Amino acid sequence: MATHSARLGLLVLALSLVAPSPIKADRMTVRLATATSTENSGLLQRLLPPFEGRTGYRVDVIAVGTGKALRLARDGNVDVVLVHAYEDELRFVADGYGVNRRDVMYNDFVIVGPLDDPAAIRGLQDAADALRRIAASQSSFVSRGDDSGTHKKERALWQAAGVMPSGSWYREVGQGQGRTLQMAGELQAYVLTDRGTWIAHRRIMPILVEGDASLYNRYGVIAVNPARHADVNYMGGMRLIGWLTGVRGQSIIRDYRIAGEPLFFPLAVGP
Amino acid sequence: MDNLLGASREALLLLVSGDPSLWTIVGISFSVSLKAILLTAPVALVIAFLLAHTRFLGRRALITLFQTLLAFPAVVVGLTLYLLLSRSGPFGDLRLLFTQIAMVIGQMVLCFPILVAMGHAAIQAADRRAWETAITLGARPARAMLTLMHEVRFGLVAAVIAGFGRIIAEVGCSLMVGGNILNHTRNITTAIALETTKGQFAEGIALGLVLLVLALLLNFALMLLQGKGVMHS
Amino acid sequence: MKPEPILQFRGLRKFLANRWLLDISELSISAGQCMILSGDNGVGKTTLLKIMAGLEPPDAGEVSYDGKVLPLRTAPQQYRDNIVYLHQSPYLFDCSVIDNVAYGLRRRRMPRAAVQAKVAEVLEWAGLEHLGKRNAKYLSGGEKQRVALARARVLAPKVLLLDEPIASMDYKSRERTYVLIERLKKEGMSVVITSHELSAVLPLADVHMYLRDGKLHDERQDNTAAQMSWLISSENRHND
Repeated sequence: MATHSARLGLLVLALSLVAPSPIKADRMTVRLATATSTENSGLLQRLLPPFEGRTGYRVDVIAVGTGKALRLARDGNVDVVLVHAYEDELRFVADGYGVNRRDVMYNDFVIVGPLDDPAAIRGLQDAADALRRIAASQSSFVSRGDDSGTHKKERALWQAAGVMPSGSWYREVGQGQGRTLQMAGELQAYVLTDRGTWIAHRRIMPILVEGDASLYNRYGVIAVNPARHADVNYMGGMRLIGWLTGVRGQSIIRDYRIAGEPLFFPLAVGP
Repeated sequence: MDNLLGASREALLLLVSGDPSLWTIVGISFSVSLKAILLTAPVALVIAFLLAHTRFLGRRALITLFQTLLAFPAVVVGLTLYLLLSRSGPFGDLRLLFTQIAMVIGQMVLCFPILVAMGHAAIQAADRRAWETAITLGARPARAMLTLMHEVRFGLVAAVIAGFGRIIAEVGCSLMVGGNILNHTRNITTAIALETTKGQFAEGIALGLVLLVLALLLNFALMLLQGKGVMHS
Repeated sequence: MKPEPILQFRGLRKFLANRWLLDISELSISAGQCMILSGDNGVGKTTLLKIMAGLEPPDAGEVSYDGKVLPLRTAPQQYRDNIVYLHQSPYLFDCSVIDNVAYGLRRRRMPRAAVQAKVAEVLEWAGLEHLGKRNAKYLSGGEKQRVALARARVLAPKVLLLDEPIASMDYKSRERTYVLIERLKKEGMSVVITSHELSAVLPLADVHMYLRDGKLHDERQDNTAAQMSWLISSENRHND
């Protein structure tokens, strides 16, 4: 009888040493929702491992359209969200879903298109004007159409151009940046894309318009409000935000290059 | 749970109100799949007949091949077709990529093995005497074939329904060669797959409901036909 | 003077599995002739009938139709238009009796009115007028047999091949079928019947052949020869 309970006790002890307690594992994982373009750029592969190494946290990245990323954060299915949709981010915080919004970095969008440039927009300084010309000539244009940060930027540009794009020349594909670029290449159509994805996709079509201030793209990071969802990893989320906006994280962002070109420009001034 | 119920309620409202963007998507699904099945069925059923009634070298191998293709993943068909139709591919000049035509072609490939395999089974199960009777009464072989098919029509219609069921619900092929372009190549399945990336679950659920109801109707029809087929044999 | 044969086979051979199923030196059907074909089960009667119907090709031999010799491979297509074969349990299509009977006529592209008239006439002939609209699948065995006969007769073929037409039939159906076959004979149609219930069909026969070991034997001739030899031997005994 005594040996029976002793053996049982030994078993429980062994199991508790070997098997990780589920609660503890959660606390060491931070779930980050971000836009597909950010994931595609490869920056996170450079930025997150040092953080994981230093702190022992593991970061799970869920890359979806900006709309879905914010939705995941609203539902408490992630701990932190990193997107590029300034108005939506402010509203997110104002509605009480998120706390501690910080600027992280910015990058720029470019308009790329077919080599023969049927709408004659090459070299234009005004992005909205370029879109106006595309609409006027009914040249093929591919839109992400998925409420992503890029899509919102595109819509803002159409609005500035005073045009409601519609017709068979304007195709909304509802997909991620990489796939959208690929499709534009196949269809030889104009498309708005972030520079990172363009570089990463081996320069499918040439850049025709760049440098306009309206094409700049600001990234913000927000922690999910623990008051709304008690079981989010608030501590882990805040530490990640600290890393992204801290000196070391920001210098990684500044030094990140693809094919010798910088992609993102740091915005945070420090913790 | 709230989320699910809320989205479902919204979904039903969307469907009932005749929301045009939703019903456009449904219309594209049906348009593409109906074209695919109507174009494929006659050829596939004739091939099924030939497989059942003529003897040639490699017949058994061909039958086995079709039965294997039954399980061919839609995504693989989609990828292969994409590579063929891409600008850098052999048929790029046709500019068929990201059009409904490409989707129809893909779905034709998908439903072809089902039609042949199930058609073959139905025709094989036909009474041998039916063919001989038709011939002895003066029918030419082509006419006799049609008569035989009429005799096993329930089994053949079941094959068509099964083929249609597969292609109306597939997403891998439609997504790859269609591109989910709004009002052009966005059908029920690609919309469900990608609408949710916008965080708009209500649309996704609404479309899912349409598919579910359709699947129920198809299976019900199949059940009735199989009963009738048995009764008539 | 024997009437001119319609269909004639010489040196007819059919191979099955690993032996010659049929090895017939001569077989001919003449106009208006009724031939009974008997033999054990599985001896090849059905195969022979199907070859005569043009539903199966022979492996060797010479085929003549209407006096003309036909090339072996394409022969079946050429002579089967005037010959109709009925299965042992005839197969009726999944439609009405009228549509079944009209099947062969419709293939000939006759005007609708003509088709309707002929069908009505033959249904009367077979005593089936009341069954016209019924689905043929739901008829009794005897009724199906008569529909099949009507369906064949309406095409006015030169030769009718009946495979065991009265097997497994009740007495009443058997009688009605017999009457119809008799009528066909009177109308001048050549009929070949296989049966293993000889007593029922023998009265109809002009010729009785039996099939054994792949060869056809003339039953009456053999019987006559047997009788002759018995007579001779008994006479001899008398004289001893």
